[in-house]
Amino acid sequence: MRSSRSLQVWKLGTFSYLEALKLQGKLVSDRKAHKIPETLLSLQHPNTYTLCKRRTDHNLLIPTSELQKLVAELHYTQRGGDIAYQGPHQAILYPIISHREIGLGARNYVEKLELTMIELASLYGFKACVGQKGETGVWVADRKIGAIGVRISSGITSHGLAFNIDPDLSYFKHIVPCGIVDKEVTALRRETVTALPSDEVIHEQLLSCFARLFGFSSLVWKENNSVLSDDGKVKNMTAYASMLSYNEKAE
Amino acid sequence: MATRLLWSSKAASYLRISVFHRGLSSVVKDLKYADTHEWVKVEGNSATVGITNHAQDHLGDVVYVELPEVGAAVKQGDSFGAVESVKATSDINSPVSGKVVEVNEELNNSPALVNSSPYEKGWIIKVDISDVGELKNLKDSDEYTKLCEEEDATH
Repeated sequence: MRSSRSLQVWKLGTFSYLEALKLQGKLVSDRKAHKIPETLLSLQHPNTYTLCKRRTDHNLLIPTSELQKLVAELHYTQRGGDIAYQGPHQAILYPIISHREIGLGARNYVEKLELTMIELASLYGFKACVGQKGETGVWVADRKIGAIGVRISSGITSHGLAFNIDPDLSYFKHIVPCGIVDKEVTALRRETVTALPSDEVIHEQLLSCFARLFGFSSLVWKENNSVLSDDGKVKNMTAYASMLSYNEKAE
Repeated sequence: MATRLLWSSKAASYLRISVFHRGLSSVVKDLKYADTHEWVKVEGNSATVGITNHAQDHLGDVVYVELPEVGAAVKQGDSFGAVESVKATSDINSPVSGKVVEVNEELNNSPALVNSSPYEKGWIIKVDISDVGELKNLKDSDEYTKLCEEEDATH
């Protein structure tokens, strides 16, 4: 028996990795202090490489100086999950939620994120699955289509999942993604015979899978053209573009 | 609820049958607990800190533990390090305030000790407590058991 659960969704469009980090930091604090409800960021990043705190630079196959020439940003982060590439045409969801309040331990939370991507794959008529032991993320045979990296701070999640719609796969050639050697990277474009709708539609489908799996019966949208300035204050806040709340059938 | 568990455990030991009570068997008495699932063993002004069985069970296989520097200050309720499991890095919060006097270097080689021996070999830091009065903010084993049951019941 569960009461209606609401998720506030920020649609950020293309958003810098660093800005997203700052925004998440603020939102995690706010969520901890119960100032905001369960929140989710839906976005894409410009070409970016991220390394986790373990600093496994040996998974970077070209020197950092070469990376700059590719017009990519390189960041070190608190996220678990080793090295990753993120860029245009990758659907990213960063849920900022209290995983305990929705009844999930850390491991189950990650498993459900994986399921979210598996469900999206089945919408497009192909089968994706979780990796073998020690390899997280979502796979089509031995080709990786989705990645996961999550941070938990006093029970509040940040970072999340990245699903390949149609990214430039050559960027993956310069890294060993998530430290997993000898495995190919793939994308929705390659795996489905269905014609792809726009990225925005696919984002919403992914979000829909997330909401259903995590038991969110209503979504409140927040279209956001704001920018976080250096002092952490949000400037140029637009009004809510649309307050759309639709109720899916309760489970 | 706790009384019933206690009764059934006593009855079980009398009848010499084994009873699986995850709550009671995984919580160690004489320790204090934070509601973010860390435990602390206090001996005078000295504290040993780790994460509980409940925490390691929910995290999954630990692959890396981020330890603070010896000499670092810690504050009750604030993060001092992190535990990385299957694609999730989880902050660890200190149940006490004070100064870190020792860290468990073994965890660099064997992070899985946190899973296999969360209360003994998987200890994470030792702290010189600066404010023993703060211990009253923590839970005892019965209160902590109740918290775990409440959290698990929401699944």
